[in-house]
Amino acid sequence: MCYGKMDEEKMRTVYILPTGDEIKNGTVLDLDAPEIIGQIVKAYPEAEVTRLCPLVDVEDTIFNKITEVAEKQPDLIILIGGSGGGHRFSKTLGKDFTHSALERYLDECASHEIYGKNGHMWSKLICGKKGSTTIINVPGPFVEAQAACEAFIKAYKDNLSVDDISLNMANAVLKQYPVGAAKTV
Amino acid sequence: MEHEYIIAHADKSVLKISGLEVKGLNTRQLEQILGEKLHTFVRVIGVTGDNVEMDVYDIDPEQVRKNEKGLIESIVLTEGITVTELTKLSCSEKIVEVDYDSIPDEPISACAMERWMKRK
Repeated sequence: MCYGKMDEEKMRTVYILPTGDEIKNGTVLDLDAPEIIGQIVKAYPEAEVTRLCPLVDVEDTIFNKITEVAEKQPDLIILIGGSGGGHRFSKTLGKDFTHSALERYLDECASHEIYGKNGHMWSKLICGKKGSTTIINVPGPFVEAQAACEAFIKAYKDNLSVDDISLNMANAVLKQYPVGAAKTV
Repeated sequence: MEHEYIIAHADKSVLKISGLEVKGLNTRQLEQILGEKLHTFVRVIGVTGDNVEMDVYDIDPEQVRKNEKGLIESIVLTEGITVTELTKLSCSEKIVEVDYDSIPDEPISACAMERWMKRK
């Protein structure tokens, strides 16, 4: 299935939604949101960018917040963190529900999953549309969030399809690993 | 929904430092300090109030374990971390490669490892 290209390049209102208990309770500094805000403002000087209160790692909480924010019909929503296999792989890791909440919500979306050779899903990058709103997620680790956001902005400006945007974001994240070889399945 | 899969062929171990006091951790700074010390990529993957779990790539876990004291000393200046008498370091063996052909297509969960473990 192939999805259409983005309608036009525009970016007036953007919401950034960090996720993660450790971000919400201040155990970890949120370095990603300021970086993403900087990238958006640099690319779209007139954009109004709002960083929302971080969410706990609960799928329904994330789903309900996406629903609430999307009703405002912004041009873009960016979710940060919770993009891996997380708790499904190791009980000591955080609960990663961002991608599952996003897929529940979106009408039209494309995703690319990066797996380690141990079979663990390291990251799932999603790009989708709900009405006129584009919604993406980026991984939590700083360099991956930075790379994914850069790739998104370039792809969005190039008016690529949601599938190509997701692919470009995944490839940008993949480059942050010391990967000898990668193959698409 | 359009889904595609990319397999990253990288060796990885999990480095865990426990017995810490963590508040306002600057993960980027920690990754840079340990990355320079270990000469490899380091990625923070899990943080609680008393431990930090990281992925380290292409490294001999035994070398990491042998250098426990030096590594713990190196993180003292990281923003948001306090080392205590209880601080210790552990490093897992490298990840074991699985046969992707044995992963069932049926989406039991979003994680391929879980699907592989639950395979019939």
